[in-house]
Amino acid sequence: MARRETLIFGCSAMGHEVATQLAERGIDAYLYSSDPDEVGAMLAKGLQAGVVDYTDDDKLCSIGIGKWVKTIFCLFSEEPQNLFVTLSARALDPDLKIICVCESVSSGNKLLTAGATKVIDPYEISGHRVHELIARPYLVEMLENTVFGKHIDIAEIEIPRSSSLSGAPMDDLQLSKRYNLIVMGVVDLELSQELIFSNRGMNHLLDGGDMLVVIGPKDEISRLRADVEEDKLEPGS
Amino acid sequence: MAASERYSGWKRAVSDLLENPKAPIRPYFDIFMIALVLSSVWVLIYEVKHDLGLFGDVFERVAVTIFIVEYLMRFWVFNDSHKVIIARYEKAEFVNEPFRLGPALWQAVKEKLRYMIQPLAIIDLLAIMPSYRPLRFLRIFLLFRIFKLFRYTRSISEFVKVLSEKRIELLTLFIFMAFITFTAATAIFFFEAEQRGHQITNFFDSIYWALVTMSTVGYGDITPQTTEGRLVALALIIAGLGVISFFTSIIVSAFGEKIEEIRAHRIFSEVERKHVDTLVCGFGRVGQVVAERLARDKRTFVVVDPLESNIRLAKQRGYLAVTGDGEDNELLSSLGIETRIRRLLCLTGDDVVNVYITLTARQFNPEVEIISRANQRENVTKLYRAGASHCVAPNEVVGLIAAEYAGQPVAFEAVYGLLTGQANEGMEAVRIKRGSVMDGRRMGEVDFRQRRLIPFGVIRQGSCEDVEGATCYNLQDRSFYFNPGEAFVFRAEDLLVLFGHEYSVVHFRDCLEGGTL
Repeated sequence: MARRETLIFGCSAMGHEVATQLAERGIDAYLYSSDPDEVGAMLAKGLQAGVVDYTDDDKLCSIGIGKWVKTIFCLFSEEPQNLFVTLSARALDPDLKIICVCESVSSGNKLLTAGATKVIDPYEISGHRVHELIARPYLVEMLENTVFGKHIDIAEIEIPRSSSLSGAPMDDLQLSKRYNLIVMGVVDLELSQELIFSNRGMNHLLDGGDMLVVIGPKDEISRLRADVEEDKLEPGS
Repeated sequence: MAASERYSGWKRAVSDLLENPKAPIRPYFDIFMIALVLSSVWVLIYEVKHDLGLFGDVFERVAVTIFIVEYLMRFWVFNDSHKVIIARYEKAEFVNEPFRLGPALWQAVKEKLRYMIQPLAIIDLLAIMPSYRPLRFLRIFLLFRIFKLFRYTRSISEFVKVLSEKRIELLTLFIFMAFITFTAATAIFFFEAEQRGHQITNFFDSIYWALVTMSTVGYGDITPQTTEGRLVALALIIAGLGVISFFTSIIVSAFGEKIEEIRAHRIFSEVERKHVDTLVCGFGRVGQVVAERLARDKRTFVVVDPLESNIRLAKQRGYLAVTGDGEDNELLSSLGIETRIRRLLCLTGDDVVNVYITLTARQFNPEVEIISRANQRENVTKLYRAGASHCVAPNEVVGLIAAEYAGQPVAFEAVYGLLTGQANEGMEAVRIKRGSVMDGRRMGEVDFRQRRLIPFGVIRQGSCEDVEGATCYNLQDRSFYFNPGEAFVFRAEDLLVLFGHEYSVVHFRDCLEGGTL
């Protein structure tokens, strides 16, 4: 059996959607459920799926949790199942990334307590989208056509430890002039996981290991990525 | 006559005033008439003991004149007599018979008579008649003016409507009551009328006694003196309790059954009054989130959901809400889908229902903006075909976010923020008005950095033009310039998309409007 690093629990419509989107980004995910019918439906749609009894820790180990699996998604439509898988998986592997969907704010908090890394609230997101469509239709149209329409990408670019950019203030990069890119922020992984938005006015000093989050056309992003890797990018004057 | 535009215009105006409950002038007219009725009744009461002199006479005349005019106008707008006659004429032409005016006129008169025998029309007439001197003895009928209030207040007429739906039960009760009253009255008359010291002298007295006793009022001015009479009284009291409880239960159950409908009516009129233009179908989690944001924006909306518990929740939160199915034609049109509603949100968890609502609403009104939730990806095209203007697919959005997280966990934060709007940082569009400080300025002249804003791009009317230093993407009938350079010149009606903290954006907008940029 291939060692897949990404597993999806729950063969709902959402599981299907996530698996498809992951596949588009070149990530091979395997769907699991305890219900053979659901698994059958996923197999029929051409996805890779399997039956597993997630209440049994040994079974979870045998599919790689605690060993090679890095990320799991809990996408059951029932809240308690998500909670259960989260708890079991967290007990098996403290470093595992667990992404869950939740039904409400309070259940989201429960999942976080159970050990989920990220909780996604589909209802909150959809409600927000509907509201955006009403309140700011042009902005939504623009985002749909550009950022989510694959013209413009959001990407993270890691600054290598050896980079000559170390110590340079972020603003000096002047990416918006030199690369047609907008820097949304930077994450200093040594400090925290949190994104420091570049509009805060703190002219962050870059150092190796920082992650730049940029937004812009795809080719510009790959140009920047290549330049950063080859250390061709000089801090501007 | 039908051809005269002025005539039909007048007629429509009058019927708007008198009969169309949705006409904007209607509430004022109703309040005026209520005031007139009440004051004329007050004058009537006051005149019993006092003399108002000339003022009383004048007031009475004015009031009666208004009532007569109203009656005649109602009589006039009730139907179109000429149409009746023309219809007869056309029918005669059709079957090749000679047209005779007599029967045609008679039918027209019959139609008008149908108006006159309506209960409310009779009340109107009775309210006017006593003012005619020879009919002065009918003065007491002036009280009918109070009944005129039925016309102008919805709650009283609803009360009557509720009772009239229970008329079979009420009739049964009335017959039962009449039977008991009559039996008891006969018995008491039989036992008491000839006794010494008797209080009952005639049959009217015994009917009076029977009713007073049965209704549990019991004045005590007439009391049974004989043992037989008292036995009748005992039986009557027990029967009376039955009648009263029966009566109460009829009324209570009638209102119990109707109260929902009455409430719904109330909500419809409130929806009308507040000019609600957004309809939210489905008050599940998505509906709740949307409603919360709409309420925060101070937009008016009404929630429709078939589940009683959801409606209760909506009402608790202070929203307008109606229990019902979004695909119900009658409900949709009561809520004004054809006219007032500009936006419909189908947010139920069932795509079949969403498609159905979308299709129904689209047939009512081709202009309305329909935003629908698509729970399955394959239903998006169906929803668009059914007439949705936009679709939101929760699963797709989650898919996008999840995939983003798996690939680039750091950028995920930014995407998640953009998609949920939960973070304080976000995108916001600012419109550049004609003649404002930004109109005609170059990008480089505005210091966005110092305002802690990142200019993301500009949305402009029309398709892409070749502008130096900006990548352009075509939108539907607009274009988007990403990351415009310093040489970019703003134009009026451009939408400047900024990224930043909400306070910074608000401040920027204020400065722009105040011209202090």
